[in-house]
Amino acid sequence: MANEAWLIPAIPLLVYVILLVAGRRISEPVVAGISVSAVLLAFLLAIAVLADVAVNGPTAPTTYAWLDFGAHSLTVGYEVTMLNALMLVVVTLVSALVLLFSRSYMKGDERFSRFYQYLNLFVFSMLGLVISPNLLQFYIFWELVGVCSYLLVGFWYYKPEAAAAAKKAFIVTRIGDVGLFIGIILLYIATGTFDFNGLYTAGGAAFSQVATLAYHGASVPFGMSSSGFITLTALLVFIGAVGKSAQFPLHVWLPDAMEGPTPVSALIHAATMVAAGVYLVARMQPLFAASPVASETVAVIGGITALLAASIGLTQRDIKRVIAYSTVSQLGYMMMALGVGAYTAGIFHLMTHAFFKALLFLTAGSVIHALDTQDLFSMGGLRKKMPITHIAFLAGALALAGVPPFAGFWSKDEILSAAFQSGHYVLYAMGLLAAFFTAFYIFRVYFLVFWGEAKGEKHAHEGGSAMVIPLLVLGALATLSGFLNTPFDPFVTRFLTYGHPLGIGIDPPASLPLILVSVIIALLGIWLAYSVYGRANRGAELAKRMGVLYTLSYNKFYIDEIYHYLIVTPIFTIARAIAFIDRFIIDGIVRMLGELGYTGGVTLKYANTGQVQTYGVLTLFGLVALVAIALGIGGVL
Amino acid sequence: MILGIPITGETVAFFLLSLLIISSGVMVMSLTKVMHTALALGGVFLGVAGIFILLGADFVGVVQILIYAGAITILMVFALMLTQKGDDTGYPGPGKRSFFTLLGVAAFCALLLFVIRGTSWPVATTKVDPFPQPSIVMIAQSLFHTYTVPFELVTLILTAALVGAVVIARKEE
Amino acid sequence: MALQPFLALGVILFGIGLYGALTKRNLIIVLISIEMMLNASNINLIAFSHFAVTPNANGQVFALFNIAIAAAEVAVGLAILLAFFRLRNSADVRDVNTMKW
Repeated sequence: MANEAWLIPAIPLLVYVILLVAGRRISEPVVAGISVSAVLLAFLLAIAVLADVAVNGPTAPTTYAWLDFGAHSLTVGYEVTMLNALMLVVVTLVSALVLLFSRSYMKGDERFSRFYQYLNLFVFSMLGLVISPNLLQFYIFWELVGVCSYLLVGFWYYKPEAAAAAKKAFIVTRIGDVGLFIGIILLYIATGTFDFNGLYTAGGAAFSQVATLAYHGASVPFGMSSSGFITLTALLVFIGAVGKSAQFPLHVWLPDAMEGPTPVSALIHAATMVAAGVYLVARMQPLFAASPVASETVAVIGGITALLAASIGLTQRDIKRVIAYSTVSQLGYMMMALGVGAYTAGIFHLMTHAFFKALLFLTAGSVIHALDTQDLFSMGGLRKKMPITHIAFLAGALALAGVPPFAGFWSKDEILSAAFQSGHYVLYAMGLLAAFFTAFYIFRVYFLVFWGEAKGEKHAHEGGSAMVIPLLVLGALATLSGFLNTPFDPFVTRFLTYGHPLGIGIDPPASLPLILVSVIIALLGIWLAYSVYGRANRGAELAKRMGVLYTLSYNKFYIDEIYHYLIVTPIFTIARAIAFIDRFIIDGIVRMLGELGYTGGVTLKYANTGQVQTYGVLTLFGLVALVAIALGIGGVL
Repeated sequence: MILGIPITGETVAFFLLSLLIISSGVMVMSLTKVMHTALALGGVFLGVAGIFILLGADFVGVVQILIYAGAITILMVFALMLTQKGDDTGYPGPGKRSFFTLLGVAAFCALLLFVIRGTSWPVATTKVDPFPQPSIVMIAQSLFHTYTVPFELVTLILTAALVGAVVIARKEE
Repeated sequence: MALQPFLALGVILFGIGLYGALTKRNLIIVLISIEMMLNASNINLIAFSHFAVTPNANGQVFALFNIAIAAAEVAVGLAILLAFFRLRNSADVRDVNTMKW
C-alpha cells in the first residue's frame, strides 16, 4: 500500500484542477462534497499506508529522473517513512474536518469554490511536502505551502488588514526560506545529494561521525571544519523552520494571519503551514543530532518562543489572536522537544496539537460565526446557547492546558520531562512557566466566552451539522489521542523509531514527580483564570496591578514596532531613494531618449514637403559630401 | 598654342562647339519666353551632335540631330504651348534655394573636374587609327552580334513607353 | 585632342542640367534639364569610345541605347505632365506635393 502513497497528494491536486476548471459552474454543496470526500479518501489511503508501514516498516524512496546536468542529476519521487506516514494521517484528517467545517462557515461567500480550490491546493502542497524524498522537492512544496497561505490569508483581500497580513506572512516566512535554501545548497555541495536518505548515509552514521561527511570526493566547502560546517547548515535549515513555524524572532506573521477566514487559520495552525517547520527539523534530526550547538539553539529558541508567545497570549482581546499566540507557544514546545533530543515527543505534540488546535480554532470559528465579533469582551454566556461548541472548546482548552487525561497533557508533559532529564533546567522552568500562562490564558478565553452574561444582542446558536461534526470528531481526538503515547505504552514512540538502530529520539522514562508538578501548574493556571474571570470579571483590576508587564504583554512586547523602526523603515527609506533614482533618473534618461525621438520626428516631418526638388538638392549635398569624404579617404583630395 | 593646347582644326571645332553648348545651356536656364527656351535647347542638342561627329561617331551624331534636335525639341515646344497660361510670369526667378543649389552644383562639378584632372587615363601606347572601319559598320556589328538581346529589349521598352504614354495621357472617361 | 576636355564639357553640361532640374518651376523645363543631363552622359560615352586603348563601338552603341531610353522617358514624362495639368491646371513643380507629410 505504501507504494501507492503518491495517490494521497494526487487526490487534492485533482480536485484542485477540477475546481479550477469548473468551479464557477458547480454549486456550493457539490464543491464542498467533492472536496471533503476526496480528502476523506486521501485520509483512508493514509490510514492504509500507516497500517502498511506499521507492519512492514518504511519503504525505499521511489524516484524518477528529472534533470541531468553533467555529473549531477535531480530526481523527483515519493517515499514513506514512519514519520511521514504519521504526518499524512494527521494532515488528511484535520484537513478533511476543516474542509467540512468550511462548508457552513463560508456559506454564501462570493468566491466559495475559489476558497475550496485554494484549500485543496494547500492540502496538496502539504502532503507533497510530507512525502518528498529529497530536499529540493521538499523545498518546492515548501514554497507552494507559502504561496497557498498567502492566497488564503489574503482571501478577503478587499479588507486592507487581510491584504497586509498576507503580505506580511509571505515576506516574513521568505526570510526563513532564504536561509533554508542556502542550507540546502550547502548540504548539496558537501554531500552531492539532495536525498534525505542520502544525506544521512553520506555522513556515515547519521552525520554523527563528522569526519566522514566528505562524500563523493567532495570536501567541506570554504575550508571550514566539519563540525562547524554541520552547525552552519543545521542552523540555516533551522532558520527556514523558524520562519515557517513562527518561532521567535520571526513569529510576527502568524498572529496577523488571523485576518484570513477562520478555517484557514485552523488549517494553517494545526496541520499544514506551521507543522512544516517542525516536520523539517524532525526530518533533519540526524543533522541536528550531529551538532550540539545547533540543537541547543533549536531548544533555546523553542523555549523563548514558548514563553514569549504564552505571555503575550495572556492579554490579547481578540479570541483568534489568543489562540494564534497559543499556537506560536506550542510550536515553541515542539522545537524545544526536538532541540533537547526528544524527537518523538516533539512529533507527538505536533500531532495532538494538530487536533486540539484545530478544535479550538473551529470552535472559535463557530463562536465568531454565531456572534459576528472577535472581541472577547463582547462575548459571554454562550454555555447554554451553544452547548456542543462549549463542550468542544472545553475539551480543547483542557488539552491545551495539559490537564490529564486530555491529549495535550501527555505530549506536553513528555516534552517537559525530556527537557528536565536532559539537564536543561532553565528551559524546563521556562516551559513550566509557559504552561502556567497557557492554562491561564486559554481558560481566560473560556470563562469570558462561555460563562458570565450574554452581551451581544444577536441570538447565538449552533452552526449546521457541517460545523458540528468536525467539532465532535476533533473533540474526541483532543480528549483521547493522548493515550496513543503514554509512558505506560509509548505506541507512537515505538512506531516512529521502527527499526531505528541508533535509537534517536527515544524519550527518557517519565517520572512521577515531574508529572505532578506540571499537573499542579496547569490546575493553578486554571484556578487563577477562574478566580479572575470566572467568578467575576476582575481582569481590569489585575491588569492595573501588573502595570508595565500588562502593557508590554498587551502590545506584544512591541516586537512589531521594533521591527518596524529597525528594519521596515530603513528598508523603505532605501527603497524610496532607489525608486526615486529609478523613476526620475534611469527612467528619465529612457523617457528623454523617447521624447527626443518623438520631438525630432515631429519636427523633421515638416522637412517632408513633398517637393521633389528640395529632396534633390539635399541629395545633391549628400552626394557631394560623400564623394568628398571618399576622395579624402582615398587621398585624392 | 594656347594654354598648352595646340591649335588645330579639331581643337577650334571643339571650342566652338563647347561654346555653343554651354551658352545655349545657360540660355535654356535663363530665358523666360517659351519659344526662346526651345530654340536654345535645339542649340544644345545640335552642339552635342557636333561633338559626336567630331569624335568620329557620325551615326550617333545624326541620330542625335534627328531625335533630339528634331523630335524631342518639337515635342517640348508642343507641350510648352499646351500648358501655357499666358506668359511665364507665374514662375518666379531664382531665390535663396536656387543660390544654394548653384553652390552645391558648383561644388559637385568642381569635384568631378578635379577627379578628371587628377586621374591618369590609360592611353594607347601605339598610335592606332580610332576607327578602322566606318563607325556605322562597327555599330551594326555590335548591335546585331554582341548586343542583340539588349537591342530587342529596348524595342520592348519603347513599345511599353508608347502604350503607357497613351494610357496616361488619355482623358478620363 | 585628349580625353579630358570632352569629359569636362560633359561635366559642365551635366551641371547646367542638374541646376535646372533642381530649381526650375516649370515641369517641362525640368524635363528639358534632364534631357540635357542625359546628353552630357552621352558625350562621355562617345568620348570614352573614341579614346579607349583599343577603340571600339561599344560606347556608341550605349549612347544609342541612351537616346532610345531618353525618347521613351520624354514620351512618358510628357504624358504624365499632361495628365497632371488636366488634374491641377498647372505645370508647376511646387504643385506636385501630394506625397508630403
